[in-house]
Amino acid sequence: MTAALKAVLSAALAGLLGLDSVQAGQFLLSRPAFVGPVLGWLNGCPLEGARLGILLELLYIDFIPLGGVVPPSGAAAAAAGVLAHSAGGLAPSLSFFIGLAAGRIFAPLEYRLRVSRSPWSAAIEEQVKAGDLSLRGWLARSLLLENAALAAYVLAWTALAAGLARLPGVGALYPGTDFAYSLMPWLGLSGLYFRFRTQIYKKA
Amino acid sequence: MFLRMFFRSFFIQAGWNYERFQNLGFAFCMQPALEKIHADREKLKAALLRHLQLFNTQPYMASFVLGNMASLEERAAASPDPEALLKVLPGVKQALGSSYASIGDRIFWGRLKPMTTQLCLLVWAAGGYYGWLFTGLDTPVSMALLLAGPLTGIVFYSAFAVYWRWRGLKAGYACGGEASCGLNSADWPGLTRLLSTAGFLMSLAIVLLAFGLLAALNGGAGFTGGLVLKIGLPLAVLALHRAARALGRSVFFAAGLLLAASVLVFSVFGLRPFKLYL
Repeated sequence: MTAALKAVLSAALAGLLGLDSVQAGQFLLSRPAFVGPVLGWLNGCPLEGARLGILLELLYIDFIPLGGVVPPSGAAAAAAGVLAHSAGGLAPSLSFFIGLAAGRIFAPLEYRLRVSRSPWSAAIEEQVKAGDLSLRGWLARSLLLENAALAAYVLAWTALAAGLARLPGVGALYPGTDFAYSLMPWLGLSGLYFRFRTQIYKKA
Repeated sequence: MFLRMFFRSFFIQAGWNYERFQNLGFAFCMQPALEKIHADREKLKAALLRHLQLFNTQPYMASFVLGNMASLEERAAASPDPEALLKVLPGVKQALGSSYASIGDRIFWGRLKPMTTQLCLLVWAAGGYYGWLFTGLDTPVSMALLLAGPLTGIVFYSAFAVYWRWRGLKAGYACGGEASCGLNSADWPGLTRLLSTAGFLMSLAIVLLAFGLLAALNGGAGFTGGLVLKIGLPLAVLALHRAARALGRSVFFAAGLLLAASVLVFSVFGLRPFKLYL
């Protein structure tokens, strides 16, 4: 299978898994810790996928989807990170930071998608008043749009990573990105520890 | 009816929007109950429109409100004065939505979700995989172990989520119409405390394991300046995370700062990078 086809299939799968975060299920299948190894396995780099995924997950622990807050997308981050490495050809360390940025930047896009659905309510009411009580079409439309948006977004980041990999001198960044990458587990562990430490402290 | 509502409750957030939040998903979940209650199409239409109004709560806890509303609709349909019951419906729905959002956010998002990450790390550590902590360490690991970590968390979390989706539907239906319906289904503060304590103990174990491994992997170096640096640097990163939070900055700020400093020192100035372990 060509790398491009693998990337397209992986992006589509990421779009499907990404639906789990809000639209359907909420079984946590869109967590980077799961998306990372799955896409890594599909693209021949399960170890890097797992590592990228869990590190992104540790950093994203800081964000909670309370009310209407849109947290960074873990699925977008893990998929963009894994594909930047496997299809884009970048080092895992730089791919990780690309994934981190991709997940963060997806949040405003997700916000716009949610805003774009606001006018639906009036249209659905009109449809129901007219006697058509089926809501399935609206749900399917919502799921498809989210899926397509995330898949296209991940593919765009993969293309960007592939372009970046071809830039002369990009390899000079790797000593710095590798070192920063080696510190990320500790940054994540801090988030994990203090999330519960604060709860215990508040309780006391 | 319950089974159909239960399966549809997995789509409670489909179509989430900023105007009416979960209205589309809520109406979709209510449809099986409304179709059973209202044989008359005009009444069914009016009921569906009632549930297309603004609604928002924590997705797993929405079942309590769904059960409650199904019961309230049923009682209203059987009542000689349905308007009196239907008048209280929006207030009860809103009150329950807010209460369950508060409970659900604390339990699911605030505690159970980070616990799935902890479980993943503990399963990997038990299986001998530490590549998540030392990014340059590439020991062979089976795919089964790599997937077992996140899947353990997913199964653990989903067991809670699916259970409360189903139980909430039943509990909500049993006491439909009450503004405090189902809130006594569990000792929520006790459960929250229990999860906080368990989460903290697991966090502590993971952090101690991480520093223990770091010390063990540097054991051959003896007590030198290098060892102090290799233990001190992760501690400094922990402090940086706390400092960023104290300044109201997100983890992206801390990660960006570390990336910028590392690129400057090792890529621009060309200093030789080192690993945190021997």
